[in-house]
Amino acid sequence: MTCEDVRPRLLDHRRGRIDAAADADLRSHLRGCDACTRAYAAEATLDELLARRLPRYAAPTALKKRLSLLGSRARPPAHRAAWMRVAAPALAAGVALFAGGVLAGRATRHDPLAALAGEAISDHLRVLVRDRPFDVESGGPHQVKPWFAGRLDFAPAVPVPEGSGLELQGGAVGWFLDRRAAVIEYTLHKHRLTLLVFRDDGLAWPAATQVRGGGPDLREATQRGFHVVLWRAGGLGHALVSDLNAAELREVAVKLAAGS
Amino acid sequence: MIPMSRMPSPDEGAAPRFEDALAHADALYNLARHLTRNAADAEDLVQETYARAVRAWGVRDAGASLAAWLFRILRNAWLDRWRRDRRSPLDADGDAPDAAPSSDAWLRNDVELERMRGLVAEEIETALGTLSEDARTVVLLDVEGFTETEVAHVLGCAVGTVKSRLARARAALRARLAEYAHDMGTRS
Repeated sequence: MTCEDVRPRLLDHRRGRIDAAADADLRSHLRGCDACTRAYAAEATLDELLARRLPRYAAPTALKKRLSLLGSRARPPAHRAAWMRVAAPALAAGVALFAGGVLAGRATRHDPLAALAGEAISDHLRVLVRDRPFDVESGGPHQVKPWFAGRLDFAPAVPVPEGSGLELQGGAVGWFLDRRAAVIEYTLHKHRLTLLVFRDDGLAWPAATQVRGGGPDLREATQRGFHVVLWRAGGLGHALVSDLNAAELREVAVKLAAGS
Repeated sequence: MIPMSRMPSPDEGAAPRFEDALAHADALYNLARHLTRNAADAEDLVQETYARAVRAWGVRDAGASLAAWLFRILRNAWLDRWRRDRRSPLDADGDAPDAAPSSDAWLRNDVELERMRGLVAEEIETALGTLSEDARTVVLLDVEGFTETEVAHVLGCAVGTVKSRLARARAALRARLAEYAHDMGTRS
């Protein structure tokens, strides 16, 4: 083997990707060639630097939690049907008390309102901590709304109700669970508010928690000190998140829902 | 080299479950961080990767390992983002095509090789960041322990192309690191 033969094969040699005969020839060449030995040492040093010194980033726990929420959508429906087939005779056999406890536990863990609110709050927090929170700075709704064209497969309304005190800050495209979302940012009395707008098809939407006379059909939740109001309009889901108090946020949501 | 301990492909036996895909979240996030150079964008990219994986789960290419399939999705999602922003990954700052080193200048002597061994994490990450997105990706996939065939699946190219891209990328990275090591020597 010549130096020209050996150099391109050094990495393959290190990765064990050449056959035994060629490997023996290469080793033999290395024993008698200082230049190729230094080239080999350089390959080895680079491997070592990349393996031991290059920072390796682990996915944040909050991201992993969001990813695991997506998992239920990947499982074939047969799994749930099979579970139901097993559970149904057990319920019929009179172990309803025990099974009821199990089901209550499942219901808590799979509460659609808690899941949607948790996702909305995580998205809100990510907006708050981003160095560059907006992809489009606000010059008003007529600047922000057209910006979404071509970036989403729906056209979100970007309402700024008169007299609401809301100030539109900007927008971005993000994710809500497994779908793209318009992320619209407002401020009100120095509080930050995030409105997420996303397609609602296929989403487990929470049942109404209270009956309201007239007005939009809102779902409300509080987690980790944040309040979340959810509503649907025109095939789109909306999630409004802030640390404003619940009554104030509901009032804002009613006004935004009227314009969405 | 001590390759990163990539999870064995769960689909080598029974059909993979979504939980198996979650086992690759750290490795995917690591690549995303090095591509985007930004924690928030990396999170978005990984979330988009899994969202796409969920949608395509039933039509997954059974010929590729689960890990290679997920990395391919992440890579395509990354390229889509650049196209959406009307930029090419190859035109980004610091993403100029990697010029092949003109000679074995980095082999001047053993002293410089020794200095190279003294480089710190920040310098190595910075040097990697100066490579094109293409070169960065192929180097990181190699570090991750993927075979050439798997890398070819991720990048959507031939195995021979992977070989030449990897060699060129590593040569460019060595040259950058040698420059840092040389500067370190002239400062001291």
